[in-house]
Amino acid sequence: MHYFSFALFTCVLGWLILTAKTRSRIVAVTVVGVLVSTLVIAPPPAEAQGGIVPAIQAVLKVLNTLILPVVKSINGTRSANNTFFQSTVWPVQSINQATTQVLQMMGQYNGPMARILGTSLRSATLPGPQATESLLRDHQVTNFSGLTQSYKTTYRTIPAPTDASQADRDMSDFDDALALDSFKTLKASDSATDLELQTADSIESAAGQAAAGSTPFLTATATASGIRSQALTQKMLAAELRQEAARIAHQNGLRKRGAMFTNQLRDALMNLSRHN
Amino acid sequence: MTNIAEALKNVKAWALSRKLRVLLLLFVLVLAAPWPVSGQALSPCCVILAAGLSSIANSLQTIAHSLSAILGVDQDMLRFEQSVVWPASSITQAQGLVGIQQGIFSRIQALTHIPVNSATLPNAQQLEATLLSRSPDQIGQTSANYTTLYGPIPATTDASPQARDLMDMTDAAAQDAMKRAIEIDALSDLELQAASQINESIQSAAPGSAPIIEAQADAWLVRANAYTQAATADLMRLRAIDLANSSADIKMGATNTASLRQQLMNLLQHN
Repeated sequence: MHYFSFALFTCVLGWLILTAKTRSRIVAVTVVGVLVSTLVIAPPPAEAQGGIVPAIQAVLKVLNTLILPVVKSINGTRSANNTFFQSTVWPVQSINQATTQVLQMMGQYNGPMARILGTSLRSATLPGPQATESLLRDHQVTNFSGLTQSYKTTYRTIPAPTDASQADRDMSDFDDALALDSFKTLKASDSATDLELQTADSIESAAGQAAAGSTPFLTATATASGIRSQALTQKMLAAELRQEAARIAHQNGLRKRGAMFTNQLRDALMNLSRHN
Repeated sequence: MTNIAEALKNVKAWALSRKLRVLLLLFVLVLAAPWPVSGQALSPCCVILAAGLSSIANSLQTIAHSLSAILGVDQDMLRFEQSVVWPASSITQAQGLVGIQQGIFSRIQALTHIPVNSATLPNAQQLEATLLSRSPDQIGQTSANYTTLYGPIPATTDASPQARDLMDMTDAAAQDAMKRAIEIDALSDLELQAASQINESIQSAAPGSAPIIEAQADAWLVRANAYTQAATADLMRLRAIDLANSSADIKMGATNTASLRQQLMNLLQHN
């Protein structure tokens, strides 16, 4: 646009100067041309750049008053956080102390406790009971037939049908069966107890080498083992319930038979008194 | 070519004849011609701008230092967490232990499924099979099997009402306990199954999700304790009934003795 104005001005001024008739007109046209070129055609003076200073100051203000304090604050917070985690939540010294304590307690208790549990309790003196006692306490689940045989040797077999009433034979057989069931359940429980102790040892040993972040795995598996342990305790309680129930059922059975015998005796006495 | 030379010669002659005009025109044109804007490097404005940019650069440098410090703290935290709190090797080791536990779980579950039935006579075998069935569906058959083995309550003509009550109560307690034993067996089977399932899920858990599984396992443990308490309660009931029976036997013995003494006295009086 500016160049177009300049070209137009050149053409007009050239025509005016070249076609001027007198010297004074030439001078006048020249003066007018200078004035026009200075005031109108010449490029406008560049605007002063005073607006950039406040802009820079504004940017500096944002940087210094908003961004810099926030960044410094973040740095402070993160440093404090780091210090807090390293010195309060997970201090290496405490972690090492805890793992050392686990290992120290394992050394202190595991051996003596294993020795206490391993102390022989066998007390039978005669061969038959000795064999039964040995089978009852061997923690094995593969010799149930041997246990049954040994039990029969010690407690004898069910009387023959000619030697006892069917009711007595049934009750005796059921008592024997529940006693043997309990013995077998106890052998399985003993074996499971061994495995549970093994579990406890391995979890404790792992705790002695664990990091703070890996212990949830150990506590979770220990809790799962706790559930299992409760389930096994329940199995034993169920066996005990059966056994106790059979015991009082047996007593009650004898009571019923006592009533029956009393009746039979009364009838017999009445018949006897009639005959006499 | 000669035309061009001739034209130029004419222009020259024309310009020379109007020397003043041409000079003035050139002067004005030179004055009015658009000139390129010169660089402002040395202007005061540029000095201010440079100072401002320098301040910004200083501020940015300070920010960069702070960011670098943050990065240092973050890296330190990462190193600490990776080497002290959650070292991958310890996590793998713990997961490995859980895997080993799974094997022990299976062995214990197998132990609880070893058959322990021992009865030899048909009636005893039938009741024993019901009691060891671990199936709540068979609870309904318990009473019939029990009565077959231990006999029914005597008829009203065959026993006193007190004796009949005592026998019925005792039978009821014994049967209740037997039924509870079946329930407890079934429940403990489910608990073992759940414990195994929980242990399996720990194997594939992350350190952050393991506490969730642990919480679930804790809930199961509470439940298991409740079942144990239920079984213990039934055992206590059974023993209480036993104690009550002993007491009742003494009371009935005393009554019977008194009655016998009275009858004997009557007999002696008649004779």
